[in-house]
Amino acid sequence: MKLFEYQAKEQFIKAGIPIPEGQVASTVEEAVQGAERIGSPVVVKAQLLQGGRGKAGLIRKANTLEEVRKAAEGIFQAGKGVRKVLVEQAVPFKRELYLSITLEPANAKALVMASSEGGVEIEQVAAEQPEKILQYTVDLSSGILPFHSRSIAYDLGLEGEGSKRFAAVLEGLWKVFRTCDAELAEINPLFLTDGQALIAGDGKLSIDDNSLFRHPEFEPGPDYFESPIAYEAYKEGIPYLQFDGDISLMCAGAGLTTTVYDLIHYEGGTVANYLEFGGPNYRKGLRAMELCLANNPKVVLIVSFGTIARADVMAQGIVEAIQKLNPSCPIVACIRGTGEEEAQKILKDAGIEPLFDTEEAVRIAVRYTREFSDAPATQPAGDPSPSRGGSL
Amino acid sequence: MSVFIDRNTRVLVQGITGSEGSFWTKHMRGIGTQVVAGVTPGKEGQEVEGIPVYHTVRRALREHEADAAMLFVPPRFTLDAVFEALDSGIRKIVTIADGIPLQEAVQIRRAALSSGARVIGGNTSGVITPGKAMMGMFPYWIERVYKPGTIGVMTRSGSLTNEITAMIVRGGFGVSTLVGVGGDAVPGTRFAEMLPDFQADPDTEAVVIIGELGGTMEEEVAEAMEGGVFTKPLVAFLAGRTAPEGKRMGHAGAIVSGGKGTVKSKIAALERAGAYVADRPSRIGELLRTALGRGTV
Repeated sequence: MKLFEYQAKEQFIKAGIPIPEGQVASTVEEAVQGAERIGSPVVVKAQLLQGGRGKAGLIRKANTLEEVRKAAEGIFQAGKGVRKVLVEQAVPFKRELYLSITLEPANAKALVMASSEGGVEIEQVAAEQPEKILQYTVDLSSGILPFHSRSIAYDLGLEGEGSKRFAAVLEGLWKVFRTCDAELAEINPLFLTDGQALIAGDGKLSIDDNSLFRHPEFEPGPDYFESPIAYEAYKEGIPYLQFDGDISLMCAGAGLTTTVYDLIHYEGGTVANYLEFGGPNYRKGLRAMELCLANNPKVVLIVSFGTIARADVMAQGIVEAIQKLNPSCPIVACIRGTGEEEAQKILKDAGIEPLFDTEEAVRIAVRYTREFSDAPATQPAGDPSPSRGGSL
Repeated sequence: MSVFIDRNTRVLVQGITGSEGSFWTKHMRGIGTQVVAGVTPGKEGQEVEGIPVYHTVRRALREHEADAAMLFVPPRFTLDAVFEALDSGIRKIVTIADGIPLQEAVQIRRAALSSGARVIGGNTSGVITPGKAMMGMFPYWIERVYKPGTIGVMTRSGSLTNEITAMIVRGGFGVSTLVGVGGDAVPGTRFAEMLPDFQADPDTEAVVIIGELGGTMEEEVAEAMEGGVFTKPLVAFLAGRTAPEGKRMGHAGAIVSGGKGTVKSKIAALERAGAYVADRPSRIGELLRTALGRGTV
């Protein structure tokens, strides 16, 4: 789970990493008051989880309170769903550095990356000037050692006081990385001032989802999600991604759902949402169907091939969901795996044609989106068995 | 012969008294696996399917000999359970846990590498040698998926594995050993690390890998092929060809960011190394026939 910049910086402060004087504001008035307290010039920054805020005009410099007002108004009204801005002192810097900590799966260690070329996307530096990226792998049990800080600081051209301050920042970032169970902790840019001070200009902190049970303080609200439905799915513990196409996916297993997503695109179809109700969620057919139908899709496509997720239980849940929700779009079901014979019987008894082949199910679903774009109320003529909820 | 597990492997089950533990212990025995003992703290003296249960791994190993540990332990206790098995000298471990904290998964893999052990998982169904033995959760009785044969399988996925394996069987083949390395961002064992075992296994003619977007495991397979570590035919299926950048499609490891981890780059690396890459599941059988020089029928 990604955190907002201001939340990352709250963690930085706790770990002793210097940040610019700043204030979080939910309204234009609060932003102006903040700027008044901090003193101009300031930078007004949209608090959004997506990258590329600068390019989108969502980070604006302001020299006067009037400019702060305009900047904040512009950002709140940009139509990007910005709920908060961070008003920060504009730091006069000499250089912009880059520093991050992530994990290196193959070596099973942490990976510290630093660069003298901060202020731009690190991927861009990696592509254009790979020699400008310093990398050190660090064992989780030993943690950052003084030699790591020394080595990186000298290579970044920091000496004396600058080197000492860099060590403090790196140790602080390590502390944040470990105590927050982060998968990424990044400072870009890390400002170096004339007075050899180091100040975190931006902060990215991504918390490992599997560790969130240890961090109730990071409980995400609706503004962390791409849609209200995605937020509802999160609360149910159902993996969900929002798209805006025709076919609602209600599948089991990350790999199979992703494959179905690919197959739909091969056939020229589009996806309304990606939803996984396999694994621990296979008894949640009703809730999963509700979430899918909330997208008003042209088709709901159900594909599973479960081991623990029993096909018969899934089929039963789907039949119950259809009876309760009475969907107005066709339901295409291809449910296999443990208990599949029983599952087929359950579907047939409910008037749903059980399919057995994933690619066939995808083709039928894509065909439905073309043939019945007005969401017909009954099974198409010529198809012997009604496979839609509306006809039950 | 087979890879990782056979009828001679003596398995200790940690977390044997839980509902999953007891259910799948029964089926592990059903296929022919030797399950010698179980461990659940506080439950010593009980039996599961006639298998004696002990408080700790050490106490179990005072009475029994074991070559491998099968963990049915919740994710937040998995680090502890893996270290307990390693501490007792067990060097083959499978954990099915889905949701191991990432930094703990790193510590598990580090410990495995340091002690020369092999930890398979988490977030996997486990390892199965159809017709012989398994550690994990496989409905081995579904013949059109778990038919014994000569194709080794390695996978990051669960349901998709059933889908692909059914295509292997439909293509006229069967499975020698299937290793689920798991869907986590930091699996205990990586694809390429299992390749020497499949290379050495006389029962394996070719290998199918089931990969997906994100990470670098598929590229490592390509490197192993180019380096001559693995010389048998290899067919790959990769999910996420059309996945948009920046979205995490399900598995923790499955994300494309900054242009890295795209299926396109993985396919290019694999094809360069001489692998056959299937663009859809139904083509697996045909590609296996081509790879093994048996025509495309």
